[in-house]
Amino acid sequence: MTINTITFLSLVKREVSRFSKVAIQTIFAPLISTGLYLIIFSYSFQNREVAGYGIPYINFIVPGLIMMSLIQNSFANTSSSLIGAKYNGIIIDFLLAPFSHIELTLGFMIGGMVRGMLVGSVTYLVATFFYGGAVAHPFLAVFFAILVSSIFSLFGIIAGLWAEKFDHVSIFSNFFITPLTFLSGVFYSVKGLPGIWSEVSLFNPVFYMVDAVRYSFVGQSDIAPAFSALVIGSLVVILLVIVTYLFKIGYKVKS
Amino acid sequence: MSTAIKIREINKSYGELQALDDINLDIQKGEFFGLLGPNGAGKSTLIGILGGLVHKDSGEVTVLGNDIITDYRKTKKSLGIVPQEITFDPYFTVRETLEIHSGYFGIKDNGDKIDELLNALSLDDKAEIGPRQLSGGMRRRLLIAKALVHDPEIIVLDEPTAGVDVELRNSLWEYVIQLNQQGKTIILTTHYLEEAEALCDRIAIMNKGKIVKVDSKENLINSIDKKVISVKFAAPVKGFEKELVEIDFEISDDQRQIKIESAKKNLNKILKKINDLNLDIIDMDIESAKLEDVFIKLTNLGDDDN
Repeated sequence: MTINTITFLSLVKREVSRFSKVAIQTIFAPLISTGLYLIIFSYSFQNREVAGYGIPYINFIVPGLIMMSLIQNSFANTSSSLIGAKYNGIIIDFLLAPFSHIELTLGFMIGGMVRGMLVGSVTYLVATFFYGGAVAHPFLAVFFAILVSSIFSLFGIIAGLWAEKFDHVSIFSNFFITPLTFLSGVFYSVKGLPGIWSEVSLFNPVFYMVDAVRYSFVGQSDIAPAFSALVIGSLVVILLVIVTYLFKIGYKVKS
Repeated sequence: MSTAIKIREINKSYGELQALDDINLDIQKGEFFGLLGPNGAGKSTLIGILGGLVHKDSGEVTVLGNDIITDYRKTKKSLGIVPQEITFDPYFTVRETLEIHSGYFGIKDNGDKIDELLNALSLDDKAEIGPRQLSGGMRRRLLIAKALVHDPEIIVLDEPTAGVDVELRNSLWEYVIQLNQQGKTIILTTHYLEEAEALCDRIAIMNKGKIVKVDSKENLINSIDKKVISVKFAAPVKGFEKELVEIDFEISDDQRQIKIESAKKNLNKILKKINDLNLDIIDMDIESAKLEDVFIKLTNLGDDDN
């Protein structure tokens, strides 16, 4: 399995150029909602500490908010790119060109990762005004951010391939991504949830992502970061295999 | 002449519908080949299989000796397919679209080829604008430029002139003929049979998923035993019908022109009868069969089979 560098990089370039051309919508608009979260939470809970963590609430939610931006934008990039390509008919450009299935998978995935990481990084820069910007393990934070953005870019590819119209993508977004993200411990510690709910949260894969990144930022987490890394890494591999297979069979794009 | 495309026992069905039924076809390198047939004959499905847009159920296709499944990278680089539907990427200008497309085919710094195509397809002054600002005909030209940007050996044009004005059609054909003269293999599907008749060396006629005939254009046309004789007289021909009683003819409203359709062997007899009328003839024309006649005959033949 060889990768033609020019072919592959052209797809990455196309994906990055596509969202860059509408940067107001793709990069800056997401910052508004995240900025509002930061303003509201930093002033509403300025004197509050998170139980079991002993850190100000704003320090607790910043990693979660960064993850939320990164997840939503990685997913949005690949899903909208593919459903848009199907809608405009240019999906055939990717089928007529000599792309291997893995080149298509990685090309779209990296495009989504770049947007997710970019929005996540800008969110971090904005957040520094609210909490000072300390990161306990910066390399680990970047490592987890790369893995998480790849997961949701791949998930976005699946959604984009499956969707037959734009509404279908919002089903994924509204019924899976948003609930899983909001219930993953972005705004609260899962450890502190009453009764069975803290156990239920362990079935939410986004919980591991938020928790691992929170460990990278504050040095504390609900569960061991190594275990989170294992869950996240496994998800990356599984999704890579699934998406490559979907491109191989031409799922919903070849007749 | 070596084989550009070899198609063997291709079958494709969509549920109950047999879109392609045991297709066998060889297209030679350098040919200008026509693929004709009514709507739903299976032409676009066959092209889709060639380009990797459609899964075949069975059979084998090779492009310049390479299998389209196992050597798909090579076959896709050899093919430039202009699809029937006009599509465009709204995010990129004409030039950017062609640059990105060159990259998809593994070509870096393709500026010279892009300039050549923009010039040949009269898109030079539109290079820096987005496709939304292009007219339908210009979008069609962009589609053609995209298919040619990697300088493919085999160019497949699926209804390239549908909805295109006469001026563009002529300039497009001039360019395609030039490419064919440079040695490129051209495969054309079109509803304009006169275009196929003027351009193609060899033609396959498809109907209901089958290839009903493949032959040179001349052989196909000669297979129809038909001559149409049109005669214009100086005075009305009325009153002479009884002289032409054995001949099946149509007469114009002003009764000065008659049109007779006949087999070649009766030509002599008919011309003699006309001469025997002793009327002043001011014009006469004898037309041979056209590709359209072959097309109608062969596609109706398909209907008769059912």
